[in-house]
Amino acid sequence: MALDFIKRLSAGTAPYFSLAALLLTLAYLLSSATQDSSKLNDLFLVIFGLGIATLILLVAILARSLFRLYRDYKNKQAGSRLTVRLVSLFVLLILVSTTIVYSFSMHFLHRGINSWFDVKVEQALSDSLELSRTAFGIRMRTLLRQTRMMAGLLSELPSQNLTRNLHELSKLSGAVELSLWTMNGELLTSSMENMVILIPNRPSETIFHQLETQDAYISLDPDKNNLQLRAAVLLPAQSGTVEQRFLQVIFPVNDRLSKLGKTVQEAYTDYKELSYLRKPLITVFTLTLSLIVLLTLLASIWFAIWISRRIVEPLQALAAGTQSVASGNYDTQLTVSRHDEIGFLVRSFNQMTQRLTQARNATEQSHNLLAQQTNYLTTVLGSLSSGVITIDNKRFLRTANIASSNILQLNLQQRLESNIDKFSIIVPDLLSFSELIEQRIMLGESWEQQLELQKKKGLQTLMCRGTRLPNNTGWVIIFDDVTTLLQAQRNAAWGEVARRLAHEIKNPLTPIQLSAERLQHKYLPLLPADQSGTLTKLTNTIVQQVEAMKNMVNDFSDYARNPGLQLQLQPIGQLMHEVLALYQSNSAHHFTLLKSPEDITLDIDSVRFRQILHNLLKNAIEASESATLAVDIIVSYHLLRQDNIFWLEISVRDHGPGIPLNMENTLFEPYASNKTKGTGLGLAIVKKIVEEHGGHVWAENLAPEGASIIIRLPMEGTSS
Amino acid sequence: MVFIMQASVIAKFYSWLTLLLFAGSISAVQASAFNIPSAHITKIGNGHVLNASINYPLSARVIEALDNGIPIVFFQELELIDSTPLLGQYWAWEQTLWTTEIRYELRYHALVEQYILSDMATGKQRYFPSIEGALNTLGMIRNFTLPPEYLLETNHLILRLRSGIDLYALPTPMRPGALISSKWKLNSPWTPAQWH
Repeated sequence: MALDFIKRLSAGTAPYFSLAALLLTLAYLLSSATQDSSKLNDLFLVIFGLGIATLILLVAILARSLFRLYRDYKNKQAGSRLTVRLVSLFVLLILVSTTIVYSFSMHFLHRGINSWFDVKVEQALSDSLELSRTAFGIRMRTLLRQTRMMAGLLSELPSQNLTRNLHELSKLSGAVELSLWTMNGELLTSSMENMVILIPNRPSETIFHQLETQDAYISLDPDKNNLQLRAAVLLPAQSGTVEQRFLQVIFPVNDRLSKLGKTVQEAYTDYKELSYLRKPLITVFTLTLSLIVLLTLLASIWFAIWISRRIVEPLQALAAGTQSVASGNYDTQLTVSRHDEIGFLVRSFNQMTQRLTQARNATEQSHNLLAQQTNYLTTVLGSLSSGVITIDNKRFLRTANIASSNILQLNLQQRLESNIDKFSIIVPDLLSFSELIEQRIMLGESWEQQLELQKKKGLQTLMCRGTRLPNNTGWVIIFDDVTTLLQAQRNAAWGEVARRLAHEIKNPLTPIQLSAERLQHKYLPLLPADQSGTLTKLTNTIVQQVEAMKNMVNDFSDYARNPGLQLQLQPIGQLMHEVLALYQSNSAHHFTLLKSPEDITLDIDSVRFRQILHNLLKNAIEASESATLAVDIIVSYHLLRQDNIFWLEISVRDHGPGIPLNMENTLFEPYASNKTKGTGLGLAIVKKIVEEHGGHVWAENLAPEGASIIIRLPMEGTSS
Repeated sequence: MVFIMQASVIAKFYSWLTLLLFAGSISAVQASAFNIPSAHITKIGNGHVLNASINYPLSARVIEALDNGIPIVFFQELELIDSTPLLGQYWAWEQTLWTTEIRYELRYHALVEQYILSDMATGKQRYFPSIEGALNTLGMIRNFTLPPEYLLETNHLILRLRSGIDLYALPTPMRPGALISSKWKLNSPWTPAQWH
């Protein structure tokens, strides 16, 4: 609860002003209470106690503030060091200035109070008092002697005229009052100068006491207005009287003397009193001054802490804001509550964070745009059928699209950042590709060149173009697989040739045949018998050759025409068996169909498929026979999976002489045959039909002898 | 280790406290206060008078102040109380009927080397060459007449008196010191007078 109270006291600005007001009031009250004539005199202790209570409260508040400061400093909170430095500086300043003022005040206080007193003055006063005493002493001794004489005279005079005698004595001596007393305190008679006063001044107990041991008493009495001398002397004992009597005489003191004596007495007493009060006076003033100084000191330190915190607060906010910005939060905005340099700093900070936010947003936008464009480019490149790769000047692969991997049949995505020369180690066919690039790059100009790669399935023709990238950072190489295109162009040319040839040749053949038959029919009976044989032989030759020519022209027509495929789901095994059955008639020919799954079906044109098989078998038989080798043909078919597609692979192997090396690339082109028989279109037609079905065909030489023709047809949409 | 140190510190603190309290009690014993050994009320004729004697053992500090010319004001307070017992001897209903205060000023006159005792009400002065004489006179209350209007029935009446030094009459600089010092706390306790 007390802590709460202190906490509430030390929050906000109100307590500081209340404290300042309280301190001022306290200081005023304290200084008033030390004034001699103040009504607050009696309350000095209360006010002092209040001051002490305030001091304790201040100490508690200050201790809390300092502890908080220490804790912040220990926890290395932002701004705590600056606060501590400022507070230390303030405290140092306050301590030094207050100490100087305090010590000077103390010095002046002591000197001021002590300057009232002087040894010489004291001595002079003391001496003057002593002088007065001596002066009065002489007079007192004279008067005492006089009183003694009066007492002696009285004792000798008859007691009947005592009052009258007293009166006479009074007149003679100049005394104010004469009275005769017994030792029991009984008044015998008296004589007063002042007739108004009836009863004489009664001697004090002291006189009675003294007269019991001595015979005389004299004293200087400070009467209300003047001094007066009182003497008392025992009357000499008389025979006959038992009772002891004494005479009391009061003499007036000279007015001037009395006044002087009184002045001396007052001055001396005042000086003595003042001198005695010097110590407590200094103590009270010192205490008051110390309390006020201490209160001011503590309040100043408290105020110093408060003001330091106020100064550092916006800097702390700035530090926190900077940290926040450093950690990436650019939206940080601080509140501007001041109009000084710090306020300017805060405003600048806010502007900076705004600019940063704008810059960040712009960067993000451009980044997004770039990402979009990259995506767009990647998508475009990915969907291109051309291969696009980029390499740096040291021929290290930077990017490659999907088509490039497909064309080169090497996964380039896995080989980014590797030298393209290394591709030929994995795929030896690519040696000429990398060599071409190396040569062309050295020239340093954009280039375009056709390149032929020797692949397992035959020649692959690439059209390559190289262009330097901007800023000479490398090269972009674009290449297209133009093998199919070239093939199609060639096929189209051949088809056109064949069609024209068939058309041009076929027309005169029928009149030639008819003319030959007519010649034989008309002129055979007219010729002698020995010549008719010759005519028949000649005309037959013409007819036979024309017939052969017709067949050839029909073959050309077949090659040239391009009827639509009649696709139907056909069981492959069955088709194979049917075709092979046709070749069983010749016992010298030996056919083997390797055991294969029977239930493979494929969407094909069965007529054209049979033609493929016939052409292949015929080709194999003719190849073996022409080399006079045994006809031993192995046919097989099976499924395989490549590039995520199921393929039907059919191979026809013979044990013939194999394919001559110079024919490997042109085997499937028209009129490539080196055989004496046939039109030279068999394998060309096979290739045409296979390609119409979306498949490939290629030839391989087998070791140690023979060759194999391999057909691959896609199984898309079919099931095994 | 820390605990032991703390314990020793606490022990030290308590020993100091005890010492202080002890010293305080000693000083309280040493500076013996004023006391009233006898106080009697006697009926004379129709009225009642008070005779009492008060001892004024002054402390050295007070005598020092007197010798340095500081006037000391003594007060003698009298209270007449009507006490009605309600719960036997344990609790009584008390009503103050009458109070009075007699004030004397004692000061030293340096020139005549005498102590002057003044009745502050009447201004009457008496002179004593010694302080003892002055204090003796001050301590004698002789035939002080009590107000007859309250003394018709004296059954439940209590007259009590006390005496002391009026510290608020001291010069200002001395007052705070005197108010907190035990050497100035000489007031006698309230003492009831006996009825005769």
